[in-house]
Amino acid sequence: MRAVAADAEGSFTRDGVTVHYARHGSGTPTVVLLPTWSLVHSRHWKFQVPYLARHFTVLTFDGRGSGRSDRPASPASYSAAEFAADALAVMDATETERAVLVSVSRGALWSLQLCAEHPERVAGAIFIAPTVPFALPPLERVVLQRFDEVVEDPAGWEKYNAHHWKADYRDFVEFFAGRMFTEPHSTKQHEDAVGWALETDPATLIATQYGLDHCTPQAIGRLAAATRCPVLVIHGSDDAVRIHAQGASLAERTGGTLVTLEGSGHFPHTRDPVRVNLLIRQFVEGVGR
Amino acid sequence: MRARRPDRADVVERDGVKVAYEVFGHDGPGLLLIPAAPIGHARSWKGLVPFLSRHSTVVTVDPRGNGPSDRPAGSAAYGPGEMVADQLAVLDAVGLTRAVVVAHCHAVPWALRLAAENADRVSGVVAIAPAIALARRDQHWAEPTERWAEEVDDPTGWGMCNRHFWRQDYPAWPRFFFDQLLPEPHSTKQYEDAVSWALETDPETMIAEREGRDAPRNRDAAEALCRSIRCPTLVIHGTEDRCQPVAIGQQLAELTGGTLAVLEGAGHLPQGREPVKVNRLIKEFVDSIEGEPMRGGVWTRGLDRPKRALYLSSPIGLGHARRDVAVVKELKRLRPELEVDWLAQHPVTSVLEAEGERIHPASAWLANESAHMASESCEHDLHCFQALRRMDEILVANFMVFQEVVEEGLYDLVIGDEAWDVDHFWHENPELKRGDHVWMTDFVGYLPMPDGGEHEAFLTADYNAEMIEHIARYPRIRDAAIFVGNPDDIVPDTFGGDLPGIRSWTEAHFAFSGYITGFTPPDPDEIPAIRAELGYHDDEQVCIVAVGGSGVGRALLEKVIAAYPLAKRLTPELRMVVVTGPRIDPGSLPSLPSDPGLEVRGYVDRLYRHLSVCDLAVVQGGLTTTMELAAAKRPFLYFPLRHHFEQNFHVRHRLDRYGAGRCMDYTTSDPDVIAAAIADHIGDTVAHRDVETDGAARAARLIAELV
Repeated sequence: MRAVAADAEGSFTRDGVTVHYARHGSGTPTVVLLPTWSLVHSRHWKFQVPYLARHFTVLTFDGRGSGRSDRPASPASYSAAEFAADALAVMDATETERAVLVSVSRGALWSLQLCAEHPERVAGAIFIAPTVPFALPPLERVVLQRFDEVVEDPAGWEKYNAHHWKADYRDFVEFFAGRMFTEPHSTKQHEDAVGWALETDPATLIATQYGLDHCTPQAIGRLAAATRCPVLVIHGSDDAVRIHAQGASLAERTGGTLVTLEGSGHFPHTRDPVRVNLLIRQFVEGVGR
Repeated sequence: MRARRPDRADVVERDGVKVAYEVFGHDGPGLLLIPAAPIGHARSWKGLVPFLSRHSTVVTVDPRGNGPSDRPAGSAAYGPGEMVADQLAVLDAVGLTRAVVVAHCHAVPWALRLAAENADRVSGVVAIAPAIALARRDQHWAEPTERWAEEVDDPTGWGMCNRHFWRQDYPAWPRFFFDQLLPEPHSTKQYEDAVSWALETDPETMIAEREGRDAPRNRDAAEALCRSIRCPTLVIHGTEDRCQPVAIGQQLAELTGGTLAVLEGAGHLPQGREPVKVNRLIKEFVDSIEGEPMRGGVWTRGLDRPKRALYLSSPIGLGHARRDVAVVKELKRLRPELEVDWLAQHPVTSVLEAEGERIHPASAWLANESAHMASESCEHDLHCFQALRRMDEILVANFMVFQEVVEEGLYDLVIGDEAWDVDHFWHENPELKRGDHVWMTDFVGYLPMPDGGEHEAFLTADYNAEMIEHIARYPRIRDAAIFVGNPDDIVPDTFGGDLPGIRSWTEAHFAFSGYITGFTPPDPDEIPAIRAELGYHDDEQVCIVAVGGSGVGRALLEKVIAAYPLAKRLTPELRMVVVTGPRIDPGSLPSLPSDPGLEVRGYVDRLYRHLSVCDLAVVQGGLTTTMELAAAKRPFLYFPLRHHFEQNFHVRHRLDRYGAGRCMDYTTSDPDVIAAAIADHIGDTVAHRDVETDGAARAARLIAELV
């Protein structure tokens, strides 16, 4: 059973793609919990929504390619600009002038786009374990990941591979969830991530991968430099998907505050929900004042 | 001693009237504290200033009529606008463009007017126990209000609030009034403070202010003033306030759209009686206005954290430091994974640094208890119970530092060796407890000195009663309580009044570690080698005279030096070594004609080694030094400090049980008496009871059970 039911749900269709969103709570300000990579859908915020909704208005939506939203086929449908436009559409549909954005991992890319290009809509931004191209990913990933090549019997990061996804999607998902949760005793978080990932399909994920080709270090660097709103970056020291230096660099480039979670992995909002909830609330109250 | 000295103290002058103010700190948002004068003055904020000034620029003002400010004559000097203009002049003089204003009782309308008329200067108002015409006051005010100007014969109670009576017997009014305003049990110190501040002004000033008082005259005017406030407000009001009913606070909060914090059971002076809660409420309010910046940093996952203890060692006397280091050494043997940080102050820090222990950086914020004790002493005299009472603001200040440290959440265990502040304020504010808590002490029970009479007996019993009630109501605050000693070391007295016997109560509420010496005394066959190493020869009788690390000992040193010539005649082999300690300059002592048998030294490294091989020691009555001598089986003369209940009763009882030392009375011991006692006892072979050497290990075992 869900801890809380949505106070309102809705959907809109943009360029033929339908996106499903939900609102919890009615306080001020409004917090948008952005989608991340379409591997998982908006249920990954399940530990944040009940708590934050007692204090703020919380908007969530299933990123295109996941959950109850459509899964368009073309890579162009999964650009950062499209996700950002979906977020604005959710805000418009709920008559939200301005909001605090909270993103995880790849969600940083759409969040930065909104911070830099729609500053009047963004009161502040929290980046959890951001995927930003300012530092190399973990070494094993750099060495092994070959997304397009055909790799026989892939092991480790070799599984981050379009052919392998098509051949044995479940195997990839299990591997990836293992890298997300490096903390001991994470079985439930691991199962949740795998379960959500199995709700989408390899073809959609391959499209999302090519959709990000435009996110070069130069392009994202410009967005970070143009960000003026208050920023909080939360990054685990043991993140095995995106290293801590990536988050630290984003905090530095945006003049934001960095909170390091010693011992945490890539999805601390599900593995250490209490600490992350408290950090989010403190930040939102600070900028919402 | 004040816990925090002002960084700046000055006056502003308006129309020839000087108004004093003090500034504490220079970082952070401005905070202006206005007491209800002239019956009170700025010292009434003493429990708040040290804490708040670590986060804000705090300005305290002495409104005209009391403290160092002028006491102008005539009610016009206190009339509409005067108080507000004074506050504004202080803000200007300090250069504060904006401030949160905290005011008490009838100073609240001044603060409200200041905020209403200078909205750009006041970012928030905290009203503590506000006096403003928003609700009917208690019936007991009816008579004095009606008959204020009448000549009433022998008024009593609230009727003493009368202009003619004040001219006859003003002190009777604050004595009655503050008794009513502090309905909380165990408020003797707050009561004494409030009465003494009230007595610093005079009846004419009190009458002038009361008759000129700048306050809304009726409900409509008060409501209009409240409705003109645009800034955030916080109202703090006790339910047992007999000066201003809580209904006034409720109305004020409602009419200003502010926040109401009701203190259940509190009287009219919560800033004095509940300083911890009031400190936290004010800080939270200031943070909500100013926006506490988001702080970055590291948070470590729970299971990834090392086990950590925070150790607090009483800095009153050096003895605790050595025994606490010994306990930690044993504790680390039992629990090698345990990390220990120390929240400590000078002189404990010097021992810890030498031992390579880790001192928490917040230690730098602690107000110095040892300096306070030194400031409380004079010629071989330290009224240690009253000195502890007068240390109240230092204890609040240091508790607030401690609480901020433990609220970071990194400590599994807090070990307090006579950390009075932690034990007291965690019992008073039990919701603040963090981690397990080990309480250690070497005495239980405040005892009155005979010349303090009935009143001192009442006070000590009241303090004991509060402690007993603390433990009874909140057994969960002390997870372990360790008595550094044995049941037989406990005095045979009671806690006073109808309270239980100290021994039976202590046995029921403490575990016993035995005495902790912090060093192992030498075996008899080791003594010749140590004596040779220290330069003491077989043909001399070495008498060491030492007074510990404080400056209290000068008078005793001088007396013993004066006894030297006669003592030398009686004991020709006498060699007297006088050790002054770090606080007394050896050159400042009166010099006798140069004599090879008398030497005066400053600091002596590892003095306990000298004491452990001497032929006689002459010392004060402190527990650590006397027990070191008892453990080393040395003969010694000890002079308890006058009025020091611990040295005169607790330590003496314990030494008597061991059969160690000869107690000397400082007042009646002239140099001849001292010389005779030296001659009587020097070189004595003592056969008293052994002092246990496993105390540190036993204490560590008790603590380790919690780790």
